Amino acid sequence: MIQFSQVNKWYGNYHALNDITAEVKKGEVVVVCGPSGSGKSTLIRTVNRLENIKSGQLLFDGHDVQSRTNTSRELNRLRSRIGFVFQSFNLFPHLSVLENITLSPMRIHGMKRGLAREKAMQLLDRVGLANKAGAYPAQLSGGQQQRVAIARALAMEPPAMLFDEPTSALDPEMVGEVLAVMRGLADEGMTMMCVTHEMNFAREVADRVWFMDAGKILETAAPRDFFNAPQHPRAQRFLSDLRSH
Amino acid sequence: MLDLIEIVRDNWVLLLIGQYPYGPLGGIAATLILSVVGILLAFPVSVALALARLSPWAWLRWPVTALVYIVRGVPLLLIILWTYFLLPLVLGQNVSGFATMICTLVLYEASYLSEVVRAGIQALPNGQTEAARSLGHGYVRAMRHIILPQALYNMLPSMLSQFISTIQDTTLGYVINVQELTFAANQINNQLLTKPFQVFFILAITYFVVCFTLTALAHQVERRIARRRLGGGVAPQIIDGVVMPAAQGPAPVGEVS
Repeated sequence: MIQFSQVNKWYGNYHALNDITAEVKKGEVVVVCGPSGSGKSTLIRTVNRLENIKSGQLLFDGHDVQSRTNTSRELNRLRSRIGFVFQSFNLFPHLSVLENITLSPMRIHGMKRGLAREKAMQLLDRVGLANKAGAYPAQLSGGQQQRVAIARALAMEPPAMLFDEPTSALDPEMVGEVLAVMRGLADEGMTMMCVTHEMNFAREVADRVWFMDAGKILETAAPRDFFNAPQHPRAQRFLSDLRSH
Repeated sequence: MLDLIEIVRDNWVLLLIGQYPYGPLGGIAATLILSVVGILLAFPVSVALALARLSPWAWLRWPVTALVYIVRGVPLLLIILWTYFLLPLVLGQNVSGFATMICTLVLYEASYLSEVVRAGIQALPNGQTEAARSLGHGYVRAMRHIILPQALYNMLPSMLSQFISTIQDTTLGYVINVQELTFAANQINNQLLTKPFQVFFILAITYFVVCFTLTALAHQVERRIARRRLGGGVAPQIIDGVVMPAAQGPAPVGEVS
């Protein structure tokens, strides 16, 4: 579903992504972890081209996302098929919860208002916020906003979802409600790539864990193997640092 | 004091609508029409200028930036005179003072407003654009449905104050014989000859009342927007039969259900 081959990216002299080759298969849940500044967010943002790459190839569902010959129309179409959830939610504050969700299906897919609302209510029900349809983002807690953001992304019916540290901006008591929604998605077979520091989520939900440091993927493993017997010394140190807290 | 009342009593029609219907519309009516038409036409132009200044294409950005800098760097009076003498040459026919003034105001106010609009767009967090783009909205849709509605809403108070300066700027139409409020006052002064202080005092008071009213309105709009930014405000206050407390700070309102 998402294939990186020899992807490189530089910020000036800084090698942000170093020869990344990896694949997220259809229906797979991949958790990308690693110390901050290791390139996790940069990596996930290249998938829908919020970041450009310097060299290499990145295929999403067989389409070359980073091709220089993509027209903006092709790129928009590709992006509409990739659900993206941000650390800072990025809901549209001037629109109600319902409008946040219906805007894109109506404007991009030309969906009729009635149908769009109906589907939005189903999605809100699924994330447990059907009673907040008329509220504005500023009236919601962080956890609620993030769940709306997930519903908004799902409204485009994407074949894969990307999560860029979806719980890092939340108060601890709200992390669970967002993870529960993500867990539900994973159970339904959604292809997911998640950058997160929630190691329990990785352990219980992920099919594979990618460990990154300094722009490289140092280790990819099933979560049980990764957490019980990390191979790379950097991964061993990362995990022992986590446990010592 | 009696003088003031007397002057107003004898000349209020002139101050209000000029010599209309025997001559061109003038007075406060003309001043307000000039300002409203000027700002209404300047508004879409200013959005276009702002988008051009933010565009990634240098061939579009540079000339527009130059235009805005030049207009902002030259006194309005000079622009009025330039337009007054240039427009007939360019069009090959006479242009009324009123039309000249409208053209000048649109150019001038649009340049100033474009900076307001540009600031409004740039002040929005980058995440808004990223969220729009990652949902698949192109540049035009993202601007139209997500960026501009927020930016322009946030800019409402600045736009109102720009409108207030526009009203004051119309006084300069006097130099090219646009028959607005200042022109009317000057006519009165020329008739009376001996009471310039009283006449121009009335003129000042009139401008002040109009502008002060609008300034007060702008403040009210500003407060409303500030309230809404903190959550609550314009948004429906009753959700599921539960009255949402008007949020007092940026702290999110918790579960109500």
